[in-house]
Amino acid sequence: MKSFELYDATSVQEAVALLSKFGPTSKVVAGGSDLVTGIMKDWVRGKGMPYPEKLIDITTIPEMVGIKVANNALTVGAATTLSSIVDSADIKKTWPILSQSAESVASPLIRNFATLGGNINQRPRCWFFRGENFACYKKGGDFCFAVTGDNRYHAIIGGELCYIVHPSDTATALLALNAKATIAGPSGQREVPFDTYFTGPREDVLRENLLKHDELLVNVTVPQPAANTRMAFFKLKDRQVYDFALCSVAAVFTEENGVWKDGRVVLGGVSPVPYRAKVVEEALAGKNIKQAAKDAAGRIRTVARPMSLNGYKVDIAVGLIERVLTSALV
Amino acid sequence: MRAIGSSLPRGDAVGKVVGATPYSGDLSMPGMLHAVTLFARRPHARILALDLGEAGRVPGVVCILTAADVPHNRFGLNVPDQPVLCGPGDDEHASRVRFVGDKVAVVVAETVEAAERARALIRVEYEALPVVPNPVAARQTGAPVLHAAHPDNVLLHYRVRKGDTLAGFAQADVVVEGEYSVGGQEHAFLQPEAGLAWLDEEGRVAVACAGQWAHEEQEQIAHALRLPDERVRVIHPAIGGAFGGREDISVQIVLALAAQKTGRPVKMVWTREESIIGHHKRHPMTYRCRTGATRDGRLVAAEVELVSDCGAYASTSTKVLGNATIMAVGPYDIPHVSIDAYTVYTNNVPSGAFRGFGAPQSHFAAESQMNKLAAALGMDPVELRLKNALRDGSLQVTQAPMPAGVSMDHVIEQCAESIGWRRTAQGWQRPAAAQPDSPWLRRGIGFAAAFKNIGFSFGYREHCWATVEIHGGGDIDRVVVRCAGSDVGQGAHLAFQQIAAEALGIEAEKVEIVSADTATTPGSSGSASASRMTFMAGNAIRGAAEKALAMWRDEEDRPVIATYEFNPPATTPMDDMGRSTPNFTYGYVAEAVEAEIDTETGEVRVRRVVCADDVGRAVNPQQVTGQIEGAVVQAQGWATIENFVQRDGLVLTPHLSTYLIPTVRDIPDRVDSIIVEVPDPLGPFGARGMAEMPFIPFAPALTAALHDATGVWFDHLPLTPVRVLETLDEQA
Repeated sequence: MKSFELYDATSVQEAVALLSKFGPTSKVVAGGSDLVTGIMKDWVRGKGMPYPEKLIDITTIPEMVGIKVANNALTVGAATTLSSIVDSADIKKTWPILSQSAESVASPLIRNFATLGGNINQRPRCWFFRGENFACYKKGGDFCFAVTGDNRYHAIIGGELCYIVHPSDTATALLALNAKATIAGPSGQREVPFDTYFTGPREDVLRENLLKHDELLVNVTVPQPAANTRMAFFKLKDRQVYDFALCSVAAVFTEENGVWKDGRVVLGGVSPVPYRAKVVEEALAGKNIKQAAKDAAGRIRTVARPMSLNGYKVDIAVGLIERVLTSALV
Repeated sequence: MRAIGSSLPRGDAVGKVVGATPYSGDLSMPGMLHAVTLFARRPHARILALDLGEAGRVPGVVCILTAADVPHNRFGLNVPDQPVLCGPGDDEHASRVRFVGDKVAVVVAETVEAAERARALIRVEYEALPVVPNPVAARQTGAPVLHAAHPDNVLLHYRVRKGDTLAGFAQADVVVEGEYSVGGQEHAFLQPEAGLAWLDEEGRVAVACAGQWAHEEQEQIAHALRLPDERVRVIHPAIGGAFGGREDISVQIVLALAAQKTGRPVKMVWTREESIIGHHKRHPMTYRCRTGATRDGRLVAAEVELVSDCGAYASTSTKVLGNATIMAVGPYDIPHVSIDAYTVYTNNVPSGAFRGFGAPQSHFAAESQMNKLAAALGMDPVELRLKNALRDGSLQVTQAPMPAGVSMDHVIEQCAESIGWRRTAQGWQRPAAAQPDSPWLRRGIGFAAAFKNIGFSFGYREHCWATVEIHGGGDIDRVVVRCAGSDVGQGAHLAFQQIAAEALGIEAEKVEIVSADTATTPGSSGSASASRMTFMAGNAIRGAAEKALAMWRDEEDRPVIATYEFNPPATTPMDDMGRSTPNFTYGYVAEAVEAEIDTETGEVRVRRVVCADDVGRAVNPQQVTGQIEGAVVQAQGWATIENFVQRDGLVLTPHLSTYLIPTVRDIPDRVDSIIVEVPDPLGPFGARGMAEMPFIPFAPALTAALHDATGVWFDHLPLTPVRVLETLDEQA
């Protein structure tokens, strides 16, 4: 790994100023579990992805670390560790799928320093993107090796140009929980719902979200669930722990006498962005969830466009959606 | 108290657990330099030019080694077909890189940082060559030739003809056909390759490293450096696991060369990624099998074609192929057998030694055939096995009788009974797995058996040296055992201690082991592999101890010192019909697996494993149980989630985050280790080798369990969710 300069930012404004000053070879770092010991250690770089030279530590910014519950909403600083989220009794009680999704990430050791912001903004796991021999679109190259190569772990929905799947587990839960992101940049702070936070390859193949290089995620706000809200999360992996999602499902919905009123079904591991399965939600509208779950889950087939080797993920998604909907009712 | 049969604690346990034990990567010396390797990181290319100019000017760089610096630029455990360093020049063989882990240069510098900076500045001009991605492509006409000596890319073809398979199949009432494939496997030992080399007080080039066979490494270093063997010294400090993965040379030769060149100590530590692309893997293999039996379950004929992906260099592929060949029909007595086995060069990472050494692959095919045959005959799989199991005097596929002490039927019966098989008037009967109340979970129970040679095969002159010194006056105060055999983490040295103590009738604490240093243990012990160390070194130590004890009783001189070389019965290579006496003894094992499958997600959970392993005599029962449990877990990884993926010679899983090994949450809920003790007539105090055996029957026992659960055969490993779901789909 190349050596780098490390700056301890003491405020959000300072971090933004440093990013603006240093330009694209600077990056925000928190736990560094992927940026430092993944991307940088493995020299993942390309024409559109310069090797980081300056890292700006944001764990030294007090307002970016911590969990607050106020005005019926949860706010989690982006530099809060996943372990803190897992340990939070408030989160476990009111937003259990955020807790579960955080606990499904990596290993206890990594969760002790990996952060929520890092998890939401981590780079894809695609083995061509991570591999030194593949100058793919996402690194500024001119090819997607998954199209002709081994694509068993790639996108089944929404891939175009590039067929990564979004790797974040907490993002899947946050989108289902209708959370918002606070973003800081040179012109100040703004709030963005996670509905529009993630961006697909067609918008900009070099990134997975709307953060510009001089912007950073400050915190995440999750609204209090309405009365009669049910929620569940499940993540399927090749290995039981310490692995990324083959497919994950987060469902959050309100119901009355078992009938779907309103809610969200979000899939991870299947699309370049955390994927809100509106076809499934629509098929559930006004229906008895238990009775409609199987049919509704099957609707995912109408939007899936599997590649040569990943058709199995469609079957998995169908099965998991039904299970998650059913388990949320228990 | 007898020393043998006691679960004495490991002397090295505390140091390893608290992190105090120095491994080769922890060693340092004053004035030490650091080396890093420039790997080719491309599967097939010719090196046209090498420009070291800018790299050499990096402050702190002392030297950069290239092909031109290697006196004899070839190495290899069985066939010296691998360049130490690849580079441009007259030597056509060394001017080509054949896999991603071929080495191009070694930078030696005052600091790791300087060495890495310089490595990034070495300019290599490559001419890309067409890649040979697998054995099928390698055998097509017009395929690029990877080694001039093998224009068809076939390194070796073994041909076995026993009896007359045409006549045999004519007697068969039922014939089962099957095609099988198994993947490679990364050893994933805890400690990546590392070493420290220096010129010792006698001017020898000394290399401290993690290996499996100090004397063989000494010989290979000396060969490459054109030195007499005695000018090279190899020392193995604590070794962080091996499993066959340290049989081949990794850092040893280049470190010796660097120390010789600079006159200073030089250290090199590979990263995990370098380790994964840099050392060999288990052989991926494919099988086509036909097995015939009469209606009453007598095996009459078998035909097997197997192909192993040798990768870019021979490593131990020829020996693995030999083992795979003689185990290709499993541990059964079959009168008519025809086997064709090929190992084929490709541009993949070389394949080589890995726990089981060809046996797991062949038993997966052979035992799957047996399970299918049992189903086709409507016969219980245990019943079918017992009808056909090898016995004393049975003829192997090589037409030589089995060595005495065959206990195949014994371990099959013990294992079957332990998991609930019942003997009935109609024969053995499989227990039914209790089904969970779930629409997608199914459970099943499966069975498989295996045998595996102990020690080196096919005419290799097997031998092992040991020296025993007895100190004291009237009573024995202290005993020093010198035996080169490496403790790779398996506890060999504790076994040495217990065997010496038993032979001398003293407490094990009085025995000190001096080992794995070619300067202090001059006779070779052979490799810590082939489940042979307890057997071979045990016999050598026992021989030396008995000799020393006789001297102790007869002579006045103190201390007494006796040396003994153990030579087991000779073996022979296969002829063109496969006739040979391949091995002097075997180990026998049977396993039953209870597994649960999620038919919607493709997840496979192993609930229980029962392993009955005939170890002859358990020198240390706790260590034996540890080996059984470890082997089962490692086999489960190979069978289920471990997936070494290469695309056109490039490794797509070079990290432990993509090459997944089992965690504590993945391993079986329960493993019952049944230690069977049918003495080996040749073993020290009856002990057999056992470290590989529990690995071997796991995969076919698991797929049998999944068949019991679903009615579907799983013939291709690993069983990741994608493979499981696709197989369920195909056979739905």
